[in-house]
Amino acid sequence: MKNTLRQVFHSGKFVAGFCIFAFILLMMIIYPLINPGNPLERIGVGTFAKPGTYVSLYDTVDTETETFKLADADDKRLAKILSDSDRVSMVEWLTQAEVDLTGVSMNDTEKLLDLWHANYDDSIRLKGMTKAQRNYYVRLNNSLNNASKADTLTVTDVDPDTNEVVEKTKIQKTDYVNVGDVANTKTLPLGTDNFGRDVLKELVSACGTSIMIGLIAGLVATFIGLLLGLLAGYLGGVADDIIMFITNIFTVIPSFVLLILISYSLGQDQRGATTVAIVIGLTSWVWTTRSVRSQVISLRNRDHVNLSKLSGHSLMRIIMTDILPYIASYVVMAFILQVSSGILAEAQLSLLGLGPKTTEVPTLGLMMNWAMLYSAHLNGSWWAYFPVILTIAGISFSMNLMNTGLDQVFNPTLRD
Amino acid sequence: MKGYRKYFTKKVIWFAITFVVALALNFILPRLMPADPVAAITGRLVSGSSDATAAAKVYEHYQEEFGTNKPMLEQFWIYIKNLFSGNMGTSFSQYPRSVNEIISSAIWWTICLQLPAIIVGWLIGNLLGALAAYIRKGFDKVLMPLSLFLSSIPAFGMAVILLVFFAVNLKVAPVSGAYGFDMIPNLSWKFIGSVISHYQLPFWSIVLISIGGQAVGMRSMSIYELNADYVKYARFLGIKDRKIVGYVFRNAMLPQVTGLALSIGTMIGGALVAEIIFSYPGLGSVMYSAVTAADYPLISATTLIITIMVLIVTFLLDLVYALIDPRVKAAQFD
Amino acid sequence: MNTRKLVSLVIALAMVMTMCLSASAETVTELPRNESLYFAGQQWGAVATWNPIGVNQNNAMACTAQAIGSRTLMFETLYMYNFMDGSMTPLLADGDYAWNDGMTEMTVKLNKAAKWSDGTAITSADVVATWDIANKIGNGTATNYAAFISAIEAVDDNTILIKSALTEAGAPVNPLKVVEFLGNAFIVQKAWIETVAARNNDDATAILNDKADDVVWSGPYTKYISNDQQVVLIRDDNYWGQDASMWGKLPVPKYIVHTIFADNAAGETALKAGEIDVCQQFIGNIQDLWLKDGLPISTYMEEAPYQVCLTMPTAFFNQNIAACQNVTLRKAIALAVDYDSIIANAMTNQSPTFTDVPRSLMNPTEGEQALYDHDAVKDLQWAGNDIEGAIKLLDEAGIVDTDGDGWRELDGEKITLNACCPNGWTDWQASMEIVADAGKNIGVDITTLYPEWSVYQTVFTNPSQTEYAIFMYSPDGAGPAQPWGRIRQFMGGDLVGVENNWTGNWGQYTNARADEILAAIPVTTDEAELKALYTEAVEIYLTEVPSFSLMYRPAVFHEVNESVWTNYPDATDGRNIPPADCTDGYGIAALYELELVNP
Repeated sequence: MKNTLRQVFHSGKFVAGFCIFAFILLMMIIYPLINPGNPLERIGVGTFAKPGTYVSLYDTVDTETETFKLADADDKRLAKILSDSDRVSMVEWLTQAEVDLTGVSMNDTEKLLDLWHANYDDSIRLKGMTKAQRNYYVRLNNSLNNASKADTLTVTDVDPDTNEVVEKTKIQKTDYVNVGDVANTKTLPLGTDNFGRDVLKELVSACGTSIMIGLIAGLVATFIGLLLGLLAGYLGGVADDIIMFITNIFTVIPSFVLLILISYSLGQDQRGATTVAIVIGLTSWVWTTRSVRSQVISLRNRDHVNLSKLSGHSLMRIIMTDILPYIASYVVMAFILQVSSGILAEAQLSLLGLGPKTTEVPTLGLMMNWAMLYSAHLNGSWWAYFPVILTIAGISFSMNLMNTGLDQVFNPTLRD
Repeated sequence: MKGYRKYFTKKVIWFAITFVVALALNFILPRLMPADPVAAITGRLVSGSSDATAAAKVYEHYQEEFGTNKPMLEQFWIYIKNLFSGNMGTSFSQYPRSVNEIISSAIWWTICLQLPAIIVGWLIGNLLGALAAYIRKGFDKVLMPLSLFLSSIPAFGMAVILLVFFAVNLKVAPVSGAYGFDMIPNLSWKFIGSVISHYQLPFWSIVLISIGGQAVGMRSMSIYELNADYVKYARFLGIKDRKIVGYVFRNAMLPQVTGLALSIGTMIGGALVAEIIFSYPGLGSVMYSAVTAADYPLISATTLIITIMVLIVTFLLDLVYALIDPRVKAAQFD
Repeated sequence: MNTRKLVSLVIALAMVMTMCLSASAETVTELPRNESLYFAGQQWGAVATWNPIGVNQNNAMACTAQAIGSRTLMFETLYMYNFMDGSMTPLLADGDYAWNDGMTEMTVKLNKAAKWSDGTAITSADVVATWDIANKIGNGTATNYAAFISAIEAVDDNTILIKSALTEAGAPVNPLKVVEFLGNAFIVQKAWIETVAARNNDDATAILNDKADDVVWSGPYTKYISNDQQVVLIRDDNYWGQDASMWGKLPVPKYIVHTIFADNAAGETALKAGEIDVCQQFIGNIQDLWLKDGLPISTYMEEAPYQVCLTMPTAFFNQNIAACQNVTLRKAIALAVDYDSIIANAMTNQSPTFTDVPRSLMNPTEGEQALYDHDAVKDLQWAGNDIEGAIKLLDEAGIVDTDGDGWRELDGEKITLNACCPNGWTDWQASMEIVADAGKNIGVDITTLYPEWSVYQTVFTNPSQTEYAIFMYSPDGAGPAQPWGRIRQFMGGDLVGVENNWTGNWGQYTNARADEILAAIPVTTDEAELKALYTEAVEIYLTEVPSFSLMYRPAVFHEVNESVWTNYPDATDGRNIPPADCTDGYGIAALYELELVNP
């Protein structure tokens, strides 16, 4: 046993897979410690806040400031409201409105702005201009007008007693606060999802649920597969015929079709995460049965098994001591594959709207499903779905790697 | 040849039994669902009328039409009878359209998408796997983990990534549908071009994943065969390397042929989801809308069609396989 | 080594071919783009029939009859309703309709220029035949209006008389519904109706399901292509409406194309790509399309709420469940719900908040808002997220947690409610989640339940169901009979106990005074009196809380892409064309004024 383990851990592939998997598991344990709380809690009111650190605007007003004189600060400020394409559009409008533009360069901001302010009028309807374009110019004009030109910005407050507006503080262009000093900041490494939930927190939790689903599905499938395979292989005869008959039927009917039909007939309120896991397990045992059976058949007539039989050992004991240890490595490998395909199956079911009941626990499939329903893939909210795909692929990749590693350990002919 | 005929008859009987079981499952499972689609149709029809007896009459009428008031067993019998006369019933959600009509317009899209994709993926995958096993070194070091990773990506994930990258961001491929939005189906080059360009992304999303899986499988089979005793013996005899490699890969291919049959069964599940992502008008999309609308005649029909497709392919491959490899045939007679 | 080269060559070739093919397909057009107007979000799945007197046609472009204005592309109504100002513009009719004194009879003149596609004139006989066949076979027109119209008679070839159904006292049941009929029911040719009836041997179901491929139409468009991918209507250049008495011209686009998408996401993508001109879909954060992506897409209004909201999806309390019969509990839950969160999340702010438009029975349009006295009900209205207020209400009413489990009890039993809406209706699901949160905040156990729509629709329309405690549905938007119809949907006692109830009052709420008000409103013409009635109804509704609205929502979403066409209706253009996707009611007027961006 010790020796086998050592061998296993000498396989580069296994170790690589194991490390990835261990990393995912570690994240699942550690991250909730750093960032505790309900993963389904809605923190954002809107949908799909992008990843990054958010600083409370309210608190910054009261935070101690430092003065920095940065040379490019003004340029950056301007670039934020007036991009190069905005300049092109401004020139286009002015040209259309037949304003004399001779001697005005695109980069001469001051002159361009002067001309714009002097000539722009939103009531002028230029020929061939669509509503969308008109709206664009109105917006551009507003943002140019709203951009504060003064060096100081005054924050005011309403006195609750007198209802008078009082000056609270003045903010200089050169005022900076240290993010560490602000009372409230929130870092969302993966932003928020359609419900305004912290995606990373949800992902970590979903990862746990999905691995659990995979494990349950794998256990169920491996258990059924092993049991039927052992019985069919060891007993032979009628038991074998019956079991193989059933197995063959379920080999040919695509398991995904069965999965859809069963999940569908269960109805949404019956589908908890565990139920879904069991259903997945119930539809994916056939290949384990087949392989276990063929392995058992080849073991059945080995000398040590015959010896046990002659010694009058019980069926249970023969199977446990003389057969199981010989196929254990195979069963472990099959189990790992079942787990990873279980996780995949849950994700696919959820995407069809046949996954576990929503909003009780997050699963990878449900996260994916919600992201798709809110068309995250179309509106550029990559953080809502891409990490999910990556996680599913990562889990499944790590398991496949471990499996290949094990394969090479147990089948010396496959070794490099 | 006599042995082959025996094998053949045995297979036919065997597939017939499986077909019946599949039929029964397809019939029973969706009907276990708690929804009453007939009530839904009548509901829409009599909405607003306060005359309860009128509503009940309409309800009975549709029960009669769909046969839902009869005992399960009789319904099953009618279902089978209709099925053999080529009638799969009426869709609930798209009433009064017939299921036949819906399925027949969808099925060709699915077949034309899936079959070539699976076969191409299988061919490329096996080629790469064999090369990896033969060349080893750098090629294998890169290809092996890459294939493994590719095969680990869920089909819908691959579809979404391709969609976002090529269609939404790079805009080199259309985002959805089976042909241009401004096209009318006809047999012109323009139309065919449009169909092919819409075909790209769904096609590659299936191919890429199956390449991964097949390459991994072929690689280990080939390595296994390359290390086999007969190879060492042949080398010892001084037989040309090229000739040995030929034998090795032919032997390694055999299990991969069953692999093809299998992958057709398992791939379909994943590929159906890919269809949904690309709004490809195939069976996957039909099944998706049927599931959301609790339209069980349509659900039964789509799952049945898929099962039949898999059955036929498995059956054909079984036959071909027995022809290629006599050992299989022999094994069947144990 | 050779093999490796070969492989790379094959791969390179495959890639080149891929690129060539995708590039070459770009320029292909069969329907000329600048003669076609593309739609999304109305037709789902292939068309079933073209039968204007049928049911289940699944034919959104041709056969949509609705109170906010029927879609008159292929079949036409007598009048076109405009939900912006409530006006009725004559279509097949000529001039305004006229009531007699007791509103028991209405006279409508028909436009003499109106013709069927086969060239015959549209006469009163056609209108009468349409009404008669409806009642004979029981289609949508009959179910909607049979209770309000007793008969339609021809006075002469171009004049019809519509008789109101009368109560026992001899007063009209509801003249508002009669007016609604004018803009809702498609008029169908008598000769064609006879053909259909004859070929189906007068069997009602067969007539309702007739495919109607030979149908005779009167509208500016007719069917051209219909399959699983698209529905195309082509302009009928002989359309009678070119007559100076109607439009005086033909609508601009030659083809009306509705691409059939599998889901919202596909439609949204196509809109962004400029493959769709007019889109009737909810698109989250719609403003990002022009603010961030710089696309030539716009809605009716430049600023939030972007759309004209006509309805308010509402959570109903099921009176069959004991706990829901408690007014205090109902009010407390309604007070605690964070509506701003619902509006920001589920509607991505495409709805005014309840601070902008305080809750009542009216939709947020100016017309309806003016109907009641805002000051009189000010103290009853709430904007939500009032956890303290809700807790105080419950504590005062003695609905407290007696056994210390953190949840309140009512009459010694723990209050356990569920909040339901159909699965996959994402914005509603998000709302129900927020309602459940509100429950948690005030110590009332509310769990969410999302059955499939197919299950949901059979349960919530069942008058004796006890499965759903708090459940969502959307009342009617605008129409000539609003807000009367909506008040009935919230409190109408006549709807209690109705089987297969798709009409309203799904929570089975009864209030005698509300019923009196409902009976009085349709026959009251004095404005002050009417205002008093409406105000009282709002008072009852806000005090009794039989249901609570969660957000405001457009009846139809209206987003346009100006890549090809422009001059769509706009809030600032002063044309008074409603944002009804250029098709519904008076919204169709937009089709006559479209312009090409690059002619």
